[in-house]
Amino acid sequence: MAALRSSSAARLFGSAASRPAFRLAVAAPVRGFAQLADAAQESQTASGDQKARIKTFQVYRWNPDTPTEKPTMQSYSLDLNKTGPMVLDALIRIKNELDPTLTFRRSCREGICGSCAMNINGTNTLACLCRIPTEVNAEMKIYPLPHTYVVKDLVPDLTQFYKQYKSIKPYLQRDTPSPDGKEYRQSKADRRKLDGLYECILCACCSTSCPSYWWNSEEYLGPAMLLQSYRWLADSRDERTAERKDALNNSMSLYRCHTILNCTRTCPKGLNPGLAIAQIKKEMAF
Amino acid sequence: MASIARSALLRQAASVPKLPAATHAIARSSALRQSIANTVRASAFHTTSRRNLLPPLPQHVDGTVNDAAPIPETSPAHGSYHWTFDRLVSAGLVPLTLAPFAAGSLNPTMDAVLCGLILIHSHTGFQNIIIDYLPTRRVPRTRKAVMWGLNVATVIVGLALYEFETTDVGVTEAIKRVWTA
Amino acid sequence: MRLSGLQKEVVGLYRQCLRECRKKPFATRPHFQEFARHEFDKNVKIDRRDFAAIEFFLRKGRRQLDMYASPGVKDIN
Repeated sequence: MAALRSSSAARLFGSAASRPAFRLAVAAPVRGFAQLADAAQESQTASGDQKARIKTFQVYRWNPDTPTEKPTMQSYSLDLNKTGPMVLDALIRIKNELDPTLTFRRSCREGICGSCAMNINGTNTLACLCRIPTEVNAEMKIYPLPHTYVVKDLVPDLTQFYKQYKSIKPYLQRDTPSPDGKEYRQSKADRRKLDGLYECILCACCSTSCPSYWWNSEEYLGPAMLLQSYRWLADSRDERTAERKDALNNSMSLYRCHTILNCTRTCPKGLNPGLAIAQIKKEMAF
Repeated sequence: MASIARSALLRQAASVPKLPAATHAIARSSALRQSIANTVRASAFHTTSRRNLLPPLPQHVDGTVNDAAPIPETSPAHGSYHWTFDRLVSAGLVPLTLAPFAAGSLNPTMDAVLCGLILIHSHTGFQNIIIDYLPTRRVPRTRKAVMWGLNVATVIVGLALYEFETTDVGVTEAIKRVWTA
Repeated sequence: MRLSGLQKEVVGLYRQCLRECRKKPFATRPHFQEFARHEFDKNVKIDRRDFAAIEFFLRKGRRQLDMYASPGVKDIN
């Protein structure tokens, strides 16, 4: 194995002239051992007809076993030819092959569970829906969701987020039974009002991108919760609309929204929490 | 295959500032370089929190994980009425600001209304800023003091504007003179 | 001495621990008190500006308190 590796390394250095990206990676001063190892590994299996496209990922690391140590950025490099197209693929590959201590949440890998929300290149998004940019020169920076308590590496603590979700009573509340004893039906127009609201997967990307939520996460509900609130306010079958509005009618819960619209910009599902909040405000005016 | 890049080594590399040296001979130079870079980045993380005006307190979670977050009391005066009033004042300011340009008139009543609305507008605006950045649970006394300070400032500015309107030329005329000066 | 917000939280947690100790059986009460004291002493050296570490230990301490405060826990070594 070692012999194989050294020979492949020689091959790699021999052909370095034709691989500007890799040469850059070797020459750059800030390099971890992992990269060199991975680069050697890449070249060993990479056939001559396909150039290795080594991309560097800088990942936020913090280990609760050594809490007094500061969080650091650790860099890993992968060959994009052998990595899937999304950032989550790269993270899973890093975890499998380079560093099993890297910790992150993931589940469905297709943008329906909202587990892999993280801050990638400065934007909150789902790692499974975020393509890796193909230019290899730029490093990718991956952080946990901003202004959250980090449990480990890329895992944020969303306790308060879920407690707030519980506080808005996200379920149908009715006092009267349906007229014919069957399910509660609604017209197509009423159903259409819920489009753009029910798709929210509670990934917390929008809430953690909202400056108001950064300062007042204890009291302000944040865009995700307000979108969900509006989903139940807009539902024609729900009969506690007045109570739901009363719960929002104070200075903190709703009105800390200053229409910054980071939420709409960042939403990985393309929803518009800003519009939903504006609708709530409009309905509650006077 | 990636055994030479196993995590133990990376951990070592990350903790080099505390340890005398990395044990692995090959790993040494690159690991050290990385560790230096890491410490530099780590310090970059923390330079801001060193001299923070109000360093963030840990997020306080009331109750257990399974309890809902507490719902605040309903108070439309601080909620919907406040917001609606805010918007009405802001909307009202637009025509009042444009009117002197269009009409060129310096009606003292219009001037007084404009002054009053600007005063209320800035008062509620400052209130919003204070509510945002000085939460009651964090700095209850400072919050109260600043709120009262804002009230006093608004009253003083109101009196000053009254004086200016009654004994001097008035805001619109003053701006006009400064503009053409 | 004026305590910062974080220091108040730490002191508050310690007092809460001691209060919970009083709900334990009289015979084993010193064990709990000693344990709580030991847990705090372990990390007394942490820089008071190291907010992240203090927050971590506060959270850890609260979780531990929740666990040991349950009436099923009668003794501790």
